[in-house]
Amino acid sequence: MPNKSASTVLDPAEEKVKVEVEELKRDISQSTTKLEKYKIIYNKKAESEFFVDNSALAGFTGERILYMAIRELIENSLDSCESFSILPSIKISLKIFDQSNDLWMLTCEDNGTGINSDKLPIAVCSFLTSAKYMEKQQRGLFGVGLKMVAAFSTKDTDFPIKVWNKSIDEQDEYYFELRTDIGTNKPIVLSKKLLLKQHSRIQDTSGFRIEVILRAKLVPITKNKIYEYVSETSIVNPYSSITFETDDGIFQFNRRTSIMPNPAQEILPHPSDMDLKTLKKAISKFQTQKMSLPKILSSSFQKLSYEKAKDIVTNTGLSLKTPTGDFSEHDLIKIVNICKKTKFQNPNTDHLSPIGREVLTIGMMSEYTIVSNKGNDITGVTATATAEKPVLHDTDLNPQGTDDTVTASTFESAQNEKPTPTPFKNNLSKSNFSVKVLKPVLTTYTSRTCVINNRPTVVETGLAYGGDIPSFKLYRFANKIPLLYDEGSDVAREVISEVEINKMGITKKQAKEQFSVNKESKKDRVIEVLPLHIFFHICSTKIPYKTAGKESIASEGELKYYMKSCLSELYRKLSTQIRKELKLKEAENKIRLYKHYLPFIVDSINESLGSKNSKLNESFSRLIENHLSKKPQIDVGDASSADSTLPVQASHKMDLADIDLEPDIQDTKDTTDTKDTDIQDTKDTRGTKETKETKETNDTRQTQKTKDTKVAAFSKPNLNKLERKKKDNKKVDLSLSGKLSKVDPTRNVTKNKKPKNANKKLIIKEKDITNKKNKSPTVKTSVNRTKMNKSFNKPQNQSKTKEVQSTIDSYSKRVNKGKKK
Amino acid sequence: MSTAKKQEFVTIIKRIMRKISDDVIKQNQMPILDLPKIGYDNTVWSDEKRMLTTGDKKIEVSPDSVKKIPTFAQYLVMANAVKKLLDEDMESTIRGMYYATLSNVGDGKNRQKFWTGQEDSDNAIKAVELLTGIPREEFSVTSKPKGMISGPIKLRVGGDIIDCNLGSRATSQLIPTNMGDVQIDDVKADFVMVVEKDTVLNNIRKSGFIQKYNAILLTGSGEPDRATRMMVKILNEQWKKPVVVFADADPWGLGIALRYKIGSESLSYDSERLVTPNAQVLGMMFSDIYQYNIPEVARLTASDEDINRANDMKKKPWMQNKQWQKELNLFLNKKEKCELDAFFKHGFKYLSETYLPQKLRMVGLI
Repeated sequence: MPNKSASTVLDPAEEKVKVEVEELKRDISQSTTKLEKYKIIYNKKAESEFFVDNSALAGFTGERILYMAIRELIENSLDSCESFSILPSIKISLKIFDQSNDLWMLTCEDNGTGINSDKLPIAVCSFLTSAKYMEKQQRGLFGVGLKMVAAFSTKDTDFPIKVWNKSIDEQDEYYFELRTDIGTNKPIVLSKKLLLKQHSRIQDTSGFRIEVILRAKLVPITKNKIYEYVSETSIVNPYSSITFETDDGIFQFNRRTSIMPNPAQEILPHPSDMDLKTLKKAISKFQTQKMSLPKILSSSFQKLSYEKAKDIVTNTGLSLKTPTGDFSEHDLIKIVNICKKTKFQNPNTDHLSPIGREVLTIGMMSEYTIVSNKGNDITGVTATATAEKPVLHDTDLNPQGTDDTVTASTFESAQNEKPTPTPFKNNLSKSNFSVKVLKPVLTTYTSRTCVINNRPTVVETGLAYGGDIPSFKLYRFANKIPLLYDEGSDVAREVISEVEINKMGITKKQAKEQFSVNKESKKDRVIEVLPLHIFFHICSTKIPYKTAGKESIASEGELKYYMKSCLSELYRKLSTQIRKELKLKEAENKIRLYKHYLPFIVDSINESLGSKNSKLNESFSRLIENHLSKKPQIDVGDASSADSTLPVQASHKMDLADIDLEPDIQDTKDTTDTKDTDIQDTKDTRGTKETKETKETNDTRQTQKTKDTKVAAFSKPNLNKLERKKKDNKKVDLSLSGKLSKVDPTRNVTKNKKPKNANKKLIIKEKDITNKKNKSPTVKTSVNRTKMNKSFNKPQNQSKTKEVQSTIDSYSKRVNKGKKK
Repeated sequence: MSTAKKQEFVTIIKRIMRKISDDVIKQNQMPILDLPKIGYDNTVWSDEKRMLTTGDKKIEVSPDSVKKIPTFAQYLVMANAVKKLLDEDMESTIRGMYYATLSNVGDGKNRQKFWTGQEDSDNAIKAVELLTGIPREEFSVTSKPKGMISGPIKLRVGGDIIDCNLGSRATSQLIPTNMGDVQIDDVKADFVMVVEKDTVLNNIRKSGFIQKYNAILLTGSGEPDRATRMMVKILNEQWKKPVVVFADADPWGLGIALRYKIGSESLSYDSERLVTPNAQVLGMMFSDIYQYNIPEVARLTASDEDINRANDMKKKPWMQNKQWQKELNLFLNKKEKCELDAFFKHGFKYLSETYLPQKLRMVGLI
C-alpha cells in the first residue's frame, strides 16, 4: 500500500501545509483587521481649509474677527495705492446688517490699482496667492488676509462677496459675486459683469470695492480697538483720506499732506542671507540660459560683483567649467558656507519705505483720534465744533513756512477734493463718538538705520508733546501697521522704561509734582504722567514679531539699543520745551499761592490799623495782578516769534515764566542788576554763536550718524533724507537761538556800579555825619520819623544809607538812655 | 516798659502799615519796604570804630513779584504780631513769635507753610527791627537767656534786684535778655573777665577767683546772645571796667572771642549797641598750647574747616596785628587746637590759679 502509505506519508505533510495555509489565512485576516483598526489616512488639506481651521494663525480669533477684517482690508488698500504712489482715499464702512444673527456688513473702497479682472477671483479667494511675494516692505506679505475675510464670509453666511473692480491695466469696471470653495482653495464665481458707465461704482481711474457680510459679535473692547486702529492708521498715513462709516456716525480723517514716502523697491537678496533654498532658486531661474555660476550669483544677489562671486566659487574648490546644473547640493552648500563667512557691504534700504520725518511730523502735528464722549453732554453744538475742527486745522497746520510750499498746496487740494464735512452734524449728534484733532505743542523725530536679522531695519521714532495731548500714550507701528495688542510685552515698553526721564533735563520728582493730574496717582512709570505721545515705527522685511499674531515686537539683536538711542535723542530734544513748561507750571503754582498770601498782608494791615478798609483787599489784588500781567508782556512778542517752529499754544501763559526769572530778593538791587546784564551779554552772544556753530557741526554730525548706522547712505532716497534732516536741524537751531536771545529789556538798567573800596570809604564818611547828628539826644525820634516817611519813596539812592545808619545809631542811643535812667 | 514807649512803638508800626495802605489805595502804587542788607556781603569793617558795620547795600521788599510776595507778607504779619504783643503788654521769645504766626498757605494742591522754619520768622523779626528802628528786646521779643554773670554787681530789673555777688561761690546768675529794662548798680569789680563756656566759668568761680581778684565773670555759653554782648559793652564803656576775653585755642573759639570785640556779620546793623572794641582777647592763644605744655593727648587735630577758617581770618583787616598773624601762622603750621578745659589736665586749679593770673598779670590787670 504504497499509495496508502504514500498517502499516509503524504498526509501529514499535506495536513501540515493545510494547517499552515489556514494559519496564514488566519494571520492575514487578523492583520487586515489590525490594519483597519490602525488605519492612518494621509490626506492633503487645501490651504483654505487649513487657514480656516487655524484662523488664529492669521489673528482671526473670536472677538477680533471684525478688527482683523477691517485691518486687512485697509492694509490691502493702502498697499495697493502706495505701490503706484497714488494718494489713498479709502472709504470703510462697518454697519450692523442683521442684529438678531450678529451679521455685519463690511465695505471697503479705495482708489488703488485694483486687480486684473482675470486674476481677481483668485486674488480674493485663494489662499497663498499674492502679488506681494517679494523682498520689499509691504503691509501684507502672505496672501492670507483678504482670503480669510472671504472664507469667513463664506463659512458663516450664505451671502456672496461683492466686488467692484477697476484695474489700472484695464479700462472697464467689473462687478463680481464670489464665494470661496474652502475645500479646494478655489474661488466660486457666482457672477461676473462688465459694468456700464451709468452703473459704475468707482469714480477714480482705478479702484477696488469689496462688500462682505461677516458673522461676529462686536464687544466694546474690539470696537475701541477698531476705532483706535483707524485713528492710528491716519496718523502714520497722513497723506491718505479715510472715511469711516459706522453706526456711531461717519468719521472723517482728512488728508493733511500730499507728500508720500518713497515707495519700496523690490531688491535682490543679500548674500549674507543666502541659504540652499535661495541659491537653488537663483540657479533654476537661469537654467535655460547657459551662464556660469559666478554670473548667476552676481545677478541674483545684491552687493556681489562678478569678481567677488568668482573668488567665492574658486575658494570652494569647485570648477568654474562645470555646468551649473551639475552642481550637487553638497557643492552648493560650500558656497553658502563661504558666503556666511565673507564680509559684504551692508544691504540696500531701497526696499524699505519708512514714513519719513516730514510725513510723520505732519501726522503727529494733527492726531486724528476718535474719542468717546462718555458724558451725555454731546449736543449739536459740540458736534459741529468737532466736525469743523479738521477744516480749521488744515489751514493753520504747520505754520513754520520754511519748506511748506508743498504742504500748503496740498491743503488746498485736499479741501477742494473733500467737501467740508458738515453732514456729520446730524450723525454725530446722536452718537457718543466724535473725531478730535490733537495738536501738540512740539513734535520731534529721529531715526536710525540698522541691521537686524541680516535685514536692514529702519527705526523711526517721534514724539508729540503738550498742547491738546491729554496724557501719555505709546504708539507702535511695524511697516506702517499700528500694533494695538500685547503692548506690555513689546520691546518699545522696555525701551521706555529703560530710558531715564532725566534725559529731558527734569527729575522724576519734578515730573511727578508738576505734571501728575492728581498727586495720589500711582503710576509706577514717571514718564506716564507727562502729556506725551511716543511713536515707534520699525520697518523691515523681517520684523522680529514675538508671536504669530504679529502684535508685539521682540527685542532682537541690537534693535533695542537703536530704539533706546532714538528715544534718548528725542528726550533731549524735548528738554528745552519741557523745562520751559516746568517753569510755567511752577510759576503758575506760585501765582496761585501768592493769592493766598494777600489775605495775610491785608489782615495784618487792617489789624494793625484797627480798621477794616474793605477797599484795601480789592485795590491790592488789582494792583498786584496788573503789575504781574503788565510787566512781562514785553516778552510775549519775542517768545512767540522765537518759537516759530512750535505752534504757540499758550502765549498768554508766557508771562508767568518770566515772573519766575525775577531777581532773588536776597540779592540787593545793584548786584542783581549787574549780574543780570552780565548774563544777558553772554546769552546774546551765545545765542548767535550757537546757531552758527550748530549749523556747522550738524553737517559733520550728520555724516557721522550715517556712518554709524552701518548702512551706506549712497542710495538716492537716503540722500534726500539727508537733505531733509539738515533742513529740520536748521529749524531747531533757529528756535533755539531765539529762545536764548530772549531777555527782558526792562532789566537792562545798570546803576550803582561802584567799586567796593569806594563804598567802604563812603560809609565811614556817612557814619561820621550821623554820629555828629546823634550827639544831640533830641534828634532821636525825629530821625526815626523822617526815616519812616522817606523810606517809602522809591527814588532815593545814597540818602537811604544815612537814614538806616542813623536808625542803627538811634538804638544805641536809646539803650544808653535806658541805662542812665 | 513804660506805656509811653510802648505807645510810641505801636505808632511806628501803625505808620508803616498806614503808608502801605495809602500807597495801595490812594496812590495806586507798589508799596516798598526798604531795608539794609544784612549778611556777609554787606558787612564792612570800620577802622575808625574798630567794629563790623553794615554796608550800604539795600533790599527792597515789595509785592511786585511772585517771589517777593511771601516775604512781604511775612514782614507785615510779623510787624502785626509785634504790635499785638505790645498791645497785650506781653513778652515773647523769638520762638514764641514763630509759633504765634505759624500757619499754612494755599489750598489742597499747592500748600506750603507760611514759615519754612524758625529761621524765616527770625529773619522777619530782624526785618521788623530794621523797619521800625527798634531793637527787638525793646518790644519784648527776646531769646532764651544764655549769658551768665557772677561777681560784685547788682542788676535792677523792674523792681527786683539781682545780686550777682554770691558769697557761696555756688552759682551764677542768668543775664536777663531784656537788657533795655535792666539797670546796673554797684559795680565794685576791678575788671570783667569773659570766658567762652559756662563749664569753665563754673570752675573759675568755684576756685574763689572772683573774691581773690575782685573780678566779674561773664560767659555767653558759646555764641553770646545780644544781652551778654550788651552787658559787656555797658560794663566797659559806662562803668569803665577793662574787659578781657578767654576762649578756646581754635578758630571757632577765637571767632567767639571776637564777637565781643568786633561784632558779627549777622548783627552788623546793631554793632554800635553790642560791640566792645576795647575788650582784650587774652587767650587761649595757640602759642599757649606749647608754652603751658598742654600734653599731646589733650590737643585736638584741626579739621579742614578750622584750617579754612583760620586762612580766612588771616586776611581780615582786624587780624592784621603782628601777634595775631603769628598766632594764626602757628596754628596753620601745627594744625593743632586746644580747649580751655585742657588745663584741667594739669590739675583742677591750674586754670584759675596759674594760667589766668599769669595772663592777667601780663596786661597789668592784677
